Amino acid sequence: MDILVLMKQTFDTEEKIVLQSGAVSEEGVQFIINPYDEYAIEEAVKLKEEFGGQVTLLTVGPKRTEEAIRTALAMGADQAVRIDPGDEPLDEFGLSKILAAAIRGRKYDLILGGNMAIDTGSGQVALRVAEELEIPHVSAITKLTLQEKTAIVERDVEGDVEVVEVGLPFLATAQQGLNEPRYPSLPGIMKAKKKPLEQLTIADLALSEDELRPRTTVTAQFYPAKKQAGQLLSGELNEQVSQLAQLLRNEAKVI
Amino acid sequence: MDFTLSDEQRMVQRTVREFIQKEVMPYEQQVLRNEREGRPGISREEIKELQLKAKALGFWGINTPEEYGGANLGAIMSALITMELGRTFVPFSFGGSADNILYYCNEEQKKRYLLPVINGERRSCFAITEPGAGSDARSIRMSAVKDGDHYVLNGEKIFITNGNEADFAMVFAVTDKEKGANGGVTCFLVDRDMGWRSEYIPTMGEWGPASLVFENVRVPEENILGELGKGFELGMKWIGQGRWAIPARAVGAAERLLQMGIDYAKTRVTFGKPIAERQAIQWMIADSAVEIEAAKWIVLRAAWMVENGMDARHQSSIAKLYGSVMANQVVDRVLQIHGGMGYTKELPIERWYREARLWRIFEGTDEIQKRTISRNLLKGHVKVGELL
Repeated sequence: MDILVLMKQTFDTEEKIVLQSGAVSEEGVQFIINPYDEYAIEEAVKLKEEFGGQVTLLTVGPKRTEEAIRTALAMGADQAVRIDPGDEPLDEFGLSKILAAAIRGRKYDLILGGNMAIDTGSGQVALRVAEELEIPHVSAITKLTLQEKTAIVERDVEGDVEVVEVGLPFLATAQQGLNEPRYPSLPGIMKAKKKPLEQLTIADLALSEDELRPRTTVTAQFYPAKKQAGQLLSGELNEQVSQLAQLLRNEAKVI
Repeated sequence: MDFTLSDEQRMVQRTVREFIQKEVMPYEQQVLRNEREGRPGISREEIKELQLKAKALGFWGINTPEEYGGANLGAIMSALITMELGRTFVPFSFGGSADNILYYCNEEQKKRYLLPVINGERRSCFAITEPGAGSDARSIRMSAVKDGDHYVLNGEKIFITNGNEADFAMVFAVTDKEKGANGGVTCFLVDRDMGWRSEYIPTMGEWGPASLVFENVRVPEENILGELGKGFELGMKWIGQGRWAIPARAVGAAERLLQMGIDYAKTRVTFGKPIAERQAIQWMIADSAVEIEAAKWIVLRAAWMVENGMDARHQSSIAKLYGSVMANQVVDRVLQIHGGMGYTKELPIERWYREARLWRIFEGTDEIQKRTISRNLLKGHVKVGELL
């Protein structure tokens, strides 16, 4: 059972978002493994412990990403591949091309990723990778049971559960509830540095300029508007209703 | 010069912080509630359960040699871990550790004392202090008189941590009055069923030491720890180990407290502005941050010296003194920032305030540390402005 895990290093959920000249500042910020990716890592390590095989992490990120990689290796993954994006402006389109290119030629029975990254929240990259590799994908899974050549997967569909049978190899993204990620163990931490970490650059993947060109652009980033204090209506019920209707028409301009 | 932690150290730090946050901090409300009602905050079983959970992750015997199943992580890692443990007031620490002097047990004693303590089956207490001998431990009076192949112990010990819960005590007694601390003090391993009694001493804090009474307690000769007459040296070794662990814990506590103070200052509005915008509050925050920063690096330097086999006694005294005073100042300011709320038992600040006061007293008072530090300088063991 060889499993690939797609991982992203993201902002610590406890960090404050600071906008600096229109972009989110990374200065002095702590980074963590994207929490949804942690579920994916845990599931991969659990499956490895049950069925054997190798767990390989793949991530696109700068040098600082290595801290997240070491943590995942300490949790029990066997090896990792870090692709340095350099200064290349990338969006989900290019990222999935990069990951797919890094995956081609590797042996795998299953690819796991997070349902989405908590920073950008787009939830696209993993599924795009599956499309690139032309394998089936199942998103937002909460249970995974492997059989001979297929798997029974439960996925979260807006609060309901959908049960899917899917043939290997396939890609799945982890939803909250799939498992409870373990802490890195002390022996795991001590061994993490000795596990293989393959370093690639985009140039190593022989992708064309067009394959990397972003299909989207971020035009602006801003804080959500501060919540205004509410307005209390008074008087008889009839008066209140007519006041409300007027306000909705003239001020809120919604009717 | 490089202040960066290794990847392993950072990962350990992060893992322990997460463990404390997710597994131990949830007990905080229970601890406050129980203690308010005069019960132990957390039961021995609950501690054991947490320790086993940590053991499954390999966090066991942080300072215990590998041949005893420990992780033997060294002083720097220990200091970092202790700082993390200090972030909660829940009296939790990782299992698998024994008093450093129990490693002086002979093979037979190891089976009865060292190993059961490491495995959490037996509890020890360290009994040197007497009503008339605290910081001046050299003047202990408890007597041990030889009678056949036994020693007969008579006297009283006081302020003994875990004295009421321990299954055995490491007792320091005078075997040769003439020689006193210079070769006349011996350390005995004394089981509770050999006949000593203990009584709990209520204190200002939640730490409840005990007084121990020895009336003709007969201890077999083979229960001498180390050598006859070499007890005082062992006692000093035991005390030495706590010198940088206490300020490490204090750093963790102070960081958590300062964060509480900052959070509260930003939300509490008086006269139309959050108090965080008042200079009086800002100065308290700044002073606390500066002192925490200083204490942290003093502790880590002491730990670094220990790890590198250097004589860290001077630096450890500085760490113990500065760290304990720092924590008392920080908790006092944070209590002040919280105003009346800080004084209530709804918040843990007053509890920490009471606990922190002990840090300036036990295992070498502020004054003893100052005495050590100044003597080192006056006698020239350490020179002012020595090249680093």
